[in-house]
Amino acid sequence: MTSLDVTIAQAVEREAAWRHRRIAIRLAIFALCILVLWLAAARIKMSLVNVVLGVPGMADVFVRMFPPDLSYLNRLIAPTIETVQIAVWGTLLAVIASTPLCLLAARNTTPHPVVYSATRILLNLLRSINELIYALLLVSAVGLGPYPGVLAIALHATGMLAKFVAEEIEHVGRGPVEALQAAGAGRMQIILMGILPQVLPAVVGYILYRFDVSIRSATVLGLVGAGGLGFSLITTMKMFKYHETAASILMIILLILVADWISGWLQKKVL
Amino acid sequence: MNMNVAVDRLATETAVSGPNADPIISIVNVSKSYVRGSLVALSDVSFDVGRGEFIVILGPSGAGKSTLLRCINRLAEPTQGKILLNGKEVCDNRRELRLARQQIGMVFQQFNLVSRLSVLTNVLTGRLSYRSTWRSFFYSFTREDRAMALECLEMVALGHKALQRADTLSGGEQQRVAIARALAQRPKVILADEPVASLDPKIARQVLNYLRDVSQRLGISVICNLHQIDFAREYAQRIVGLCQGKKIFDGPPSALDDEVLNKIYGLRLENAGD
Repeated sequence: MTSLDVTIAQAVEREAAWRHRRIAIRLAIFALCILVLWLAAARIKMSLVNVVLGVPGMADVFVRMFPPDLSYLNRLIAPTIETVQIAVWGTLLAVIASTPLCLLAARNTTPHPVVYSATRILLNLLRSINELIYALLLVSAVGLGPYPGVLAIALHATGMLAKFVAEEIEHVGRGPVEALQAAGAGRMQIILMGILPQVLPAVVGYILYRFDVSIRSATVLGLVGAGGLGFSLITTMKMFKYHETAASILMIILLILVADWISGWLQKKVL
Repeated sequence: MNMNVAVDRLATETAVSGPNADPIISIVNVSKSYVRGSLVALSDVSFDVGRGEFIVILGPSGAGKSTLLRCINRLAEPTQGKILLNGKEVCDNRRELRLARQQIGMVFQQFNLVSRLSVLTNVLTGRLSYRSTWRSFFYSFTREDRAMALECLEMVALGHKALQRADTLSGGEQQRVAIARALAQRPKVILADEPVASLDPKIARQVLNYLRDVSQRLGISVICNLHQIDFAREYAQRIVGLCQGKKIFDGPPSALDDEVLNKIYGLRLENAGD
């Protein structure tokens, strides 16, 4: 056996040991995941038995809802329009608020690292609270109606939008920015002429996506008294008018389909 | 459009005087190191740039050519030494730096146009340092600025593409737009950082011709980084050879013999052996 053979044999051995260790680690991680999921299922009493036992109840609700009261759709037109108005204004306010925030929250445009960190924290806070919770708080602060709904959507969407756009700004091509810098352009001029054109398509995409999400959120905000279709949903249910509830759900589905279609069409047009 | 009238008008503003008598740029003992001095990019480089002079900085990749150009307009901070523009130090003060950069156009290897903007708007960005910020909010430029940008485009024979989006142009055309953008600054100097490294030889020659052309006609000094020896010989009035951050040659192309080339590229050849 030559020394080369010995070296190769050792290398093969080492590789095998390394491979076996890797397999063992993966198995351990897999087992851990299963354990955690099983514990969680036990804790929230999720079981196939419960699902099966729930079927008659679900069937009962469904039967009581059927057929949807289509005449009620007429009275849903106003709440539907209100839902769209809440989404539009919520998104618009978010766009306005996130314009300065995204510049402060991007490493390459922020005036100071401290401002950057502070803005990032603010955005995380804004984002971490769900629209429904904002609406709940705002309804008790400013009263029932669509206005707290608009604010709720604006607050959450600002956190999302500003973060996404800030990340987009950070990934902008360095070359054009440098070229404008070399030409003696000022900070704001570089942002306007060098960065904005680069991020514009992505920003438009995010805004449209946000509008889509806002419509969905606006349909449930009524549950806590913040206007729109959700309000019809909860009132008809509380009065056991299930046929009207079904009509409300039908309207929500219709609205979301139309919103989906419009934002998809706009996205294709703009990009 | 009558191109010569345009050129003459620009030429009168940048008067041509004898080279080297009164240098437009002096590079004085400039050194630059990265990572707390462990990586030396430039060490103690000095030379003057005459008015209207076409200087080629020649050297292998990593010789510090790019760093040297970037130190001149302070895209990179020199660790030591100073740069004089028109006898006045190019310093850190934001307003003064802006005025200095106004007089120094720059052309990059990757063209660095804003690809979604039109060719004309790209050229107009060369005028930004002359205009207020609030105007930029509306992407608004004066009539004179527009006329001037079009003149600059005519000088690189691209006036007919003014309204196209920049990214619809070929590489060579984009680099010509970049030259027009630099010209729109009415610069005294153009720094060209490997302007033809991303172009094929035929297009490269065309771009270098435009660069030499504007230099001669408008009396603009050009400092051009190149790594191709034949281009350097053909276009330079003067060659500065860099190797490992040191200036090891400074003279006319005729003095660039094999011995000098060995010194510039020699170390690289030795390294290639191992």
